[in-house]
Amino acid sequence: MNSVVLRVERLSKSFAGVRALDGVSLEVRAREVVGVLGENGAGKSTLLKVLAGLCQRDGGHIAMRGRAVRFGSPREAAEAGISMVFQEQSLVPNLSVAENIMLGHEGVAVRAGFYDWKRLHAMGAAQLAKLDSTLAPWALTETLSFEERQMVELAKALTIEERTPHEPLILLDEPTSMLDAGQAQAVLIGIERLRGRASVVFVSHRLDEVLRVCDRIYVFAEGRCVGQGQRGVCTKAELQAMMLGRRHRVDSKDGSPPQEAPTSASAVILSVRDLSCAHRYHSVSFDLRAGEVLGIAGAAGSGRDSLCRALFGAETPDSGEIALDGRPVRWREPADAVERGIGYLPGERSTEGVVAGMSVAENMTLAHLGELRRGPFIGLRLEKALVRRWIERLGIKPCTSADMQAQLLSGGNQQKIVLAKWLIARKLRILILDHPWRGLDVGAKAEAVASIREVARSGIGIVLITDALDDLIALSDSLIVMKNGLVSGRFTCSAAKPPDWRVLECML
Amino acid sequence: MHALKRFEAMGGARTQWTWCVPLLVLLALVCAVGLAQPSFLSLGSLGLLAGESSVILLLATAQTLVIMLGGIDVSVAAMAALASVLMALALPSTGWVGLLGVLGLTTLLGAFQGFVHARARVPSVVVTLAGLGMWSGLALMVAGATVPVGEGHATVSWLEGSSWGVHHSFAFAMAALLLVAVAQHWLPFGRRVRAIGLNPVAARLSGIRVGRVKVIAFALTGLFAGLAAMTMVARTASGSPTIADSLLLPSIAAVLIGGTAITGGKGGVVRTLIGALTVTVLRVGIAATGLNAAYEPIAYGILVVVAAGLVADRAPHSSVK
Repeated sequence: MNSVVLRVERLSKSFAGVRALDGVSLEVRAREVVGVLGENGAGKSTLLKVLAGLCQRDGGHIAMRGRAVRFGSPREAAEAGISMVFQEQSLVPNLSVAENIMLGHEGVAVRAGFYDWKRLHAMGAAQLAKLDSTLAPWALTETLSFEERQMVELAKALTIEERTPHEPLILLDEPTSMLDAGQAQAVLIGIERLRGRASVVFVSHRLDEVLRVCDRIYVFAEGRCVGQGQRGVCTKAELQAMMLGRRHRVDSKDGSPPQEAPTSASAVILSVRDLSCAHRYHSVSFDLRAGEVLGIAGAAGSGRDSLCRALFGAETPDSGEIALDGRPVRWREPADAVERGIGYLPGERSTEGVVAGMSVAENMTLAHLGELRRGPFIGLRLEKALVRRWIERLGIKPCTSADMQAQLLSGGNQQKIVLAKWLIARKLRILILDHPWRGLDVGAKAEAVASIREVARSGIGIVLITDALDDLIALSDSLIVMKNGLVSGRFTCSAAKPPDWRVLECML
Repeated sequence: MHALKRFEAMGGARTQWTWCVPLLVLLALVCAVGLAQPSFLSLGSLGLLAGESSVILLLATAQTLVIMLGGIDVSVAAMAALASVLMALALPSTGWVGLLGVLGLTTLLGAFQGFVHARARVPSVVVTLAGLGMWSGLALMVAGATVPVGEGHATVSWLEGSSWGVHHSFAFAMAALLLVAVAQHWLPFGRRVRAIGLNPVAARLSGIRVGRVKVIAFALTGLFAGLAAMTMVARTASGSPTIADSLLLPSIAAVLIGGTAITGGKGGVVRTLIGALTVTVLRVGIAATGLNAAYEPIAYGILVVVAAGLVADRAPHSSVK
């Protein structure tokens, strides 16, 4: 029987009067991978932050190897052998892989204040070897792909082994949420390797992943631990039911209402001809009709992200034509596109979508202040009424959040704010969605899918990018596939959905 | 406890605190100077104080706009010096026309700095540092020394009078400051400036014309530098090419002491009012109590760092630029 490494009892923590953790108890044994499952805002990240010393608990007990502990800072947690990998990556882009891995713990690799590069690279390589990774320690971090950087994060977390006498406890905060299935695979293999040398707490909202790598699973909902499961004993359906609790079951494929395909008679609102940008995309052409959902499939780096940003005026194409309602347009900056009724939901929610420090209301109305004018002034009362309506309509929680700072809301709710920013427009024509459910849980995603359908039904054209291929196929009326900057396939999905392997074939 | 935390989350407590501290510092300073030199608290000398504060008030108001954008303008004082010389030269022969012409010119120069900053993506501190050099050099070229204003002084001398015990130049500066306060709170422009200061990328992707907003903010800064020059000319009946040297630090200090964050997006011009008054009390108080004038810039230095330290957002969510 393995000894208990970590025991948490009745842990509670509140932020801004909202209970993030409400009497949570759990334990982690040596060399065990423990999964923590739950929707956004269920308290998973908060649990890890308390364990890593990033914030202080309000009540409850934490014991490490039988001794009561209270971590005032990440350093104290690290001394006890706890190391955390963050959801948003914490690597320094302009340093090498080895520098990042050993950052702050260079030890013997620093001689008289100077780096001993050979030794530093050897130390970095040693950490990478623990994960059987073949990354070059001297590679510049910003040149790596997302999943490669995630491996560097894991390697960095493992440096703690050399610094404590105990086996470490590694906390992973949704390490795969930004990755598609293939990329996540590599990270999951990394987690499997951790099992031989550490205890792991793996937070995720992807059921398959948790079922695959975790020995035991705790399910969180609304700050409480609502259920437990063992690998091989409990099923996906059981976990899903626990996660969603009393809420209706969400099943993305069978439960969805039949799609009404936009008739080919509806007008073409956006047409793109031979759009090219050096090293990004070449000669891309397509039409978008009113009420149509156009999916763009492609691997990361296929040019789809750049293409979307060009449609919105955030990047400038080299040649080709974008026409709105048949008339060619040229965006000098996003504001030009916004004025003509185009909205864009950026892929990086926290840095590009939400303005931290501004209230929920201010964030929602930022793009359309002109429509709220009373004379030269902002109609503050008008704004308040509008924001309240949309908070209710999109089910943003807490519902009294209009004056709260936007960054205090959970990820899913922040995404809804960004969506509302475009939906409040009087004349929205086209909505470009760049990974709209990146980092969202099952429930929030189902809601997002529903609202996207509703938006399309109201006659707005939608351009959609997402890494989840089955969702993309399910939601799109037509699909273009990109590969190395070129359109490698086109499908219409309104009559019959193309099988995903055919789409995948065009991607790879 | 919960109510308090919720309040904090809405930015309430933070706002309250950062409001309170500068105000308390100001009151403490007034009391301290008053204890050391009781005549300081007489109505007459407080009126003088208010009059004294108008130049700093105008320059600091100009500075606030740019700092809210997440930038800084180190050229305001030099621009005011250049404007004061030009006004002193133009007033005798052209009167109001010359005055408005100089105000128009400083507005254009400000807009030009904003344009270069936005278009060439040069940090504002670099552009305005270049401006600082150019405008003070130009001022010295135009006039080697202080230019006295003879007859034309009548055009601006009304600023030196007082009605109902309120110094005109103070009322003038306050009116200008209030207009900016209204713009910051109720105009889309103010909202956009804040958004850019907090997150320029998200602001751009929300359809805000970042370049245009920057040009307008810098143009207003130029205009306010001109207005500051106007009150200086009214007060001293002369234009001086070297006056900038002693005004730059206090004008930036006033903004930061008031509690506006140097990183942009947090603060406002009403705070700057408190900061500008604090700076003025320091100035006048040090002279009134007979302390060495060298203490003045030292005090600014200390206060600026303390103020910036109090305002700095250390919440885990905040983005550090």
